[in-house]
Amino acid sequence: MTDSYDIAVIGAGPAGMSAAITASNAGARVVVLDDKPQAGGQIYRHVTDSPLADTALLGTDYTKGADLVAEFNACRAEKITAANVWHVDESGEVLFSQAGASASLTAREVVVSVGAMERPFPIPGWHLPGVMTAGSAQVMLKSDGLVREDAVFVGSGPLLYLIVAQYLRLGVKVKALVDTTPKQNYLAASHLLPGAFGHLSVLTKGLGLLNEIRQAGVPVYKYAEDLNIRGALKAEALSFTSKGVQHELTAEHIFLHQGVIPNLNMTRAIGVEHSWNQQQLSWQPQTNDWGQTSVQHIAVAGDGRGIIGADAAQLSGQLVAWQQLARLGLISAADAANHSQPLQQKLKSYQGLRRFIDRLYQPMDALRKPFRPETMVCRCEEQTQGQLRAAFDQGARLPDELKGLTRCGMGPCQGRQCGHIVSELLAEWQGCEVEEVGYYRLRSPMRLINLTELARFQPHHQTARTEVKL
Amino acid sequence: MNAQAGKSKASVIIIGGGIQGCSTAYQLAKRGIDVLVLEKDRVARHASGVNAGGVRLLGRDIAEVPLSNVSMQRWQTLDDELDADTGFRRRSLINIAADEADIQTLQKRQDVMHQQCYFHETMIDQQELRERLPHVADYCVGGVVSETDGYAIPYKSTFAFRQAAARLGANFVEGQQVQQLRRVGNSWLVETVAGRYEAEYLVNCAGAWADQVAVMMGDNCPMTYSAPMLMITTRMPHFATPVVGAVSRPLSFKQFENGTVLIGGGAKGFADRANNKTRLDYAKLAAGASNAVDFFPIMRTATVNRMWAGLEAYMPDNLPVISASVNSPNAFHAFGFSAHGFQLGPVVGEVMADLITRTHSDFDLSAFRVDRFERKVL
Ligand SMILES: Cc1cc2nc3c(=O)[nH]c(=O)nc-3n(C[C@H](O)[C@H](O)[C@H](O)COP(=O)(O)OP(=O)(O)OC[C@H]3O[C@@H](n4cnc5c(N)ncnc54)[C@H](O)[C@@H]3O)c2cc1C
Ligand SMILES: Cc1cc2nc3c(=O)[nH]c(=O)nc-3n(C[C@H](O)[C@H](O)[C@H](O)COP(=O)(O)OP(=O)(O)OC[C@H]3O[C@@H](n4cnc5c(N)ncnc54)[C@H](O)[C@@H]3O)c2cc1C
Repeated sequence: MTDSYDIAVIGAGPAGMSAAITASNAGARVVVLDDKPQAGGQIYRHVTDSPLADTALLGTDYTKGADLVAEFNACRAEKITAANVWHVDESGEVLFSQAGASASLTAREVVVSVGAMERPFPIPGWHLPGVMTAGSAQVMLKSDGLVREDAVFVGSGPLLYLIVAQYLRLGVKVKALVDTTPKQNYLAASHLLPGAFGHLSVLTKGLGLLNEIRQAGVPVYKYAEDLNIRGALKAEALSFTSKGVQHELTAEHIFLHQGVIPNLNMTRAIGVEHSWNQQQLSWQPQTNDWGQTSVQHIAVAGDGRGIIGADAAQLSGQLVAWQQLARLGLISAADAANHSQPLQQKLKSYQGLRRFIDRLYQPMDALRKPFRPETMVCRCEEQTQGQLRAAFDQGARLPDELKGLTRCGMGPCQGRQCGHIVSELLAEWQGCEVEEVGYYRLRSPMRLINLTELARFQPHHQTARTEVKL
Repeated sequence: MNAQAGKSKASVIIIGGGIQGCSTAYQLAKRGIDVLVLEKDRVARHASGVNAGGVRLLGRDIAEVPLSNVSMQRWQTLDDELDADTGFRRRSLINIAADEADIQTLQKRQDVMHQQCYFHETMIDQQELRERLPHVADYCVGGVVSETDGYAIPYKSTFAFRQAAARLGANFVEGQQVQQLRRVGNSWLVETVAGRYEAEYLVNCAGAWADQVAVMMGDNCPMTYSAPMLMITTRMPHFATPVVGAVSRPLSFKQFENGTVLIGGGAKGFADRANNKTRLDYAKLAAGASNAVDFFPIMRTATVNRMWAGLEAYMPDNLPVISASVNSPNAFHAFGFSAHGFQLGPVVGEVMADLITRTHSDFDLSAFRVDRFERKVL
């Protein structure tokens, strides 16, 4: 084993796995790091070693990942699992923490394929115990076979419906689905429907999920607004209006979800340029068609580059790999172009579908930009909308200024949760574009690291690295 | 002309919106002077917004003690004066002696201080050290304490000076990198990336870039710049009230009210000032972590949340330049604070305002002259 590679891939989801397969098959020395014990990423988590007796219940979109994971496990790339990458340097140095020790390696090219995270859902009470994201509920299900009975699912988007359906197929009782998709979204998205026809099967699958949920007898409240989670020390009830009628549902478990956004802390800390994507209402790293960022030798693939979904993430991983193989001189530029062209075309074909989905499930303003002073924005440092507004009134205009005055975004999550909310709030308060406001300046480590571990760390000198065979 | 600028003329133009620039602006505005601060990025974007917040009189170079002393008095009531929250907390500062050699060093220092009639540094023995810092490692033998010292929150402090200055009429224009200075008649013409300004007086508070501005004023000096690094942990149970340093080891250490622990100690990363960038040196941060754990075993389980560096100006003797220009009229310097300028912020503003409005300061500033390194050959 060496600590110097042609390509380091960070994140073994569909994007990272396919980048690694493509590059290592073409002869590159590739290393892949992922913080989970198994490859698969968000979507294919534990697909080859599920705690569930019958994985088919989770759907074919899940089970089909077994082939990709198997191909990845068999490929020549070196795999370092259960490894938290906490720093990536523009020079190609990768520092990571594994089994309580930190180690480093270097690579000539880096692929950041760290995927997506769920969009924060800042409504009153979202910080109370008992409230989780639907995605976390799914992670519990996929990795530990754990579920919660009688939960209320709240929000919008295909992933939310999928998780509810997965629950129902496993025989878990679901109290209600409170759907926040605004009525006007259906109209606005309908114009975009023709562009999505190329992916009819995906669309029908999505509609099928909602039917499945209704047929299971789960109450579905549509066009929900004015959401409020009540509870003193933990969640006790959710109140909302649906079609003009006020409702209150008692529930100990409330699962929120309003789509996913790129996981940005790594690309931000590396110093890659980002821009605001108005279609997805999120920040994303700026890249060229090949996934190359503004920082030499750093590329981004998959949902971390803008939400595209698992199948497209896989294509984008291959695309980045071909580009890097050419940069490394392992294949010719002409070869890279030949391999890339069909991939680029396929990726383009997903755009119509994406536009439709993004518009249909666009989360409404009130659920992204909290308007009540008591609503929590930064959960780590317990900063409410009202406290942030006060700092704004004192003169803070940019996320870093707000952070300096309030500590908003300084907690353990490093602004992962409040970053988008803060950018959007500041833009709204100033009546300017989000792009002008920008985002927090981020720092290492990208993941928390134990002080004793850091004290023992000797960069450039490898500590013993336990290699978990995949 | 930049739309934000509003005014392009002022009596005094201050170059640089760090704590020195903001404090100077505040003192001038308080005296009714029309003042404008030009900042190339954002106010408090650099050293003044990201430093360790140490408000330290302990261990100052003798030449700095009179200034630092007055500054320390100002800090005790600064919140009231500026009508703002600077985060200042008087917590005392202890420099730990790890062995007998450290005690010897402290004893020598004590003798010198007493000769000069400075009595703010008190030596403490092992027992008292343990009483004040119950979690310090067993082998530590004593130390020295200064009771008035403490910490503040750097961004809030600098911002407080800025806001107080603005309330008194000072103007701040951000995104204005000064590129050229010219003297025409009795005026300074200031050219920035985005506009032109004019003033009678100039003050160079440009931090890690101050040598460049000094050159524009005709003064050369051997300033260098570097990137001191810090790291901070997630919240820990409360275990240390005083701010902590060490006599012979690179360690500075403080636990804030919210439980987070800041670890510094002068280790430097890599500075790229042309691009406002720093890179961290993880080997040195690891050594700093090791020191912290060694002095405070309770820190073994601490979790590092964030590491960073700031750009800071250094002088060969680690003393600042607080001085009139030697080659140009009506131009002044305050830079080169060599990693301990935050504490001096309140007093530096007063000194600069004195130099401009009274043409002299009551402090002996000879140790801080901009031309102190110039030697006459022949
Ligand atoms: C909670 C959640 C659940 C989802 N469930 C589904 C689903 O059921 N069906 C579906 O179609 N889509 C789902 N998605 C969307 C899905 O993530 C993507 O479309 C797809 O997985 C993207 O692939 P990717 O390779 O870009 O990223 P991912 O699959 O997310 O892979 C990224 C990998 O990087 C790892 N990683 C991140 N940071 C680090 C680090 N610092 N060090 C080391 N490793 C790191 C992650 O653990 C992960 O394994 C989900 C998204 C989320 C956020
Ligand atoms: C990590 C770190 C820890 C520290 N810890 C402590 C501590 O605990 N206690 C302590 O007392 N001190 C500490 N210091 C030192 C202290 O932060 C500095 O001495 C002090 O902030 C310097 O203030 P300043 O105003 O001179 O410089 P700065 O804050 O750097 O401000 C200078 C400003 O000038 C601007 N500028 C530069 N060139 C131009 C131009 N051409 N045109 C317009 N604007 C320009 C810059 O953008 C910058 O904003 C530390 C410093 C660092 C970096």
